Amino acid sequence: MNSPAPSPDTSLRPIIEARQVDKRFGSFHALKKVSAVFYEGQVTAIVGPSGSGKSTFLRTLNRLETHDSGEIVIDGIVLNDDLKNLDAIRREVGMVFQSFNLFTHLTILRNITLAPMRVRKMERAAAEQKARTLLERVGLLSQADKYPVQLSGGQQQRVAIARALAMDPKVLLFDEPTSALDPEMVNEVLAVMRELAYSGITMLVVTHEMGFAREVADRIIFFDDGVILEDTTPEVFFTQAEHERARAFLSQVRHGF
Amino acid sequence: MNWATRYPGWAMFAAMAGLLAFLWGLAIPLAAAPEPIGPAAEQFADGARITVWLTLVAGSSGIVIGVLAGVGKLSRFWPLRRLCDAYVWLIRGTPLLLQILFVWLAAPSILPEDIVLSDFACAAIALALNVGAYNTECVRAGILAVPWGQVEAARALGLTPVQTFMDVVLPQSMRVALPALANNLASLVKDSSLAYAISVVELTMVGYRVQAESYQPIPVFVTTAVIYLILTTAFTTLTAALEAQLNTGQQR
Ligand SMILES: Nc1ncnc2c1ncn2[C@@H]1O[C@H](COP(=O)(O)OP(=O)(O)OP(=O)(O)O)[C@@H](O)[C@H]1O
Ligand SMILES: [Mg+2]
Repeated sequence: MNSPAPSPDTSLRPIIEARQVDKRFGSFHALKKVSAVFYEGQVTAIVGPSGSGKSTFLRTLNRLETHDSGEIVIDGIVLNDDLKNLDAIRREVGMVFQSFNLFTHLTILRNITLAPMRVRKMERAAAEQKARTLLERVGLLSQADKYPVQLSGGQQQRVAIARALAMDPKVLLFDEPTSALDPEMVNEVLAVMRELAYSGITMLVVTHEMGFAREVADRIIFFDDGVILEDTTPEVFFTQAEHERARAFLSQVRHGF
Repeated sequence: MNWATRYPGWAMFAAMAGLLAFLWGLAIPLAAAPEPIGPAAEQFADGARITVWLTLVAGSSGIVIGVLAGVGKLSRFWPLRRLCDAYVWLIRGTPLLLQILFVWLAAPSILPEDIVLSDFACAAIALALNVGAYNTECVRAGILAVPWGQVEAARALGLTPVQTFMDVVLPQSMRVALPALANNLASLVKDSSLAYAISVVELTMVGYRVQAESYQPIPVFVTTAVIYLILTTAFTTLTAALEAQLNTGQQR
């Protein structure tokens, strides 16, 4: 935590502010007073050993997990038990899961139109138009009328990304989006994410894909045992990480676990 | 049931149309039958209609009860959970006949004076409560079968808990629960015969009366059984088709 945080361009606006966020599961201390500010347009890769609290941290940011203490502010809205705030935040923050979590009883098109129609009260025609545009963007327009089980894992994950984008989120959270994929499908998903990153959307990506993190991320956060141990740029992190734990983690990843 | 699963839409339509035609046309072929069935044709047709009506009213209320109690059993609010548990325990642990008699005899002393329930209504209420308890377990199992990740995805997309339940959880849990619910409905066709105990003139009661007048139990009860078989088959076809309809998206 004492490594130099990347000094952001002063024109950047903070979009997520986490202050002293603490979380326990029973007696297990999963997050220990974690603080971090994320700026608009920034792509942050979150890395670290298994069980270090990466997913937990990400999930507290849209309250899939409630934090015990500390403060989380998303685009000026405080994340707390106030349901109105929560609804507002969930509209601004999209999430992509490791296991895709597509709605299996709905077609690909309906998977994408459901939230805009229910939450944003969009007309069906407009929602479908938008869904098709997004499907084209992720290269799956021809699959619109299929069901999730008919698609490969890589295709399902691209649909999940399109589904999240349909809500026009300001921030996209990714929790190990390629970890459940066969190796030959990883690249098609990373390609979509790379394109997104360059389009200027704010992204927080928990990942084990160090190549992707190094190439695409503006910032790397290294979690260890419930604390942020390093918060720096990819160049610094990969070449001169400050903590021994981070260097050990990196050499382990390089040697493929 | 292959035909029904291959063309679910048509099968549903055919089963519905067949059922209605059967109920309203039943008296015509029966009238041509020899003694003791022929003269009682209208009675059999009326009895069959009452049986189907009782099944549909109690069956659809039973599904609503099953969904409500099934959700209640999974509620985070423990008094509600306990209440639903107690309801299922009570109904499943006592005979249906007792439940029917209880509603019939206890309703007048519980309800205000100016509300008088017909025998039919008493039977429908008791049957709905009964099948609802059995449905509760099916619905609960169905809800638990929906992957939690989809609920999280829906919540993360900004859907409210109610929207998440209606759009994501319920349709998928129904697909899982449907075979068991269909089973309960087919049982209900038969269980509705217990309504004869509170003098509802349904199919079994008709059969009993006709044989009491004619002293010919064999043809009378064979006729009654055949009508029941046609009804249960129609209901089974209907639900098999519905199941196939809901199955879209599950197979490649
Ligand atoms: N719902 C829960 N109940 C109890 N313990 C939990 C729960 N969720 C997470 N944990 C524990 O909290 C710790 C941090 O979990 P988390 O999922 O955040 O780790 P992670 O860094 O994402 O690891 P991985 O790389 O394996 O996904 C783990 O030890 C985990 O067992
Ligand atoms: Mg994780």
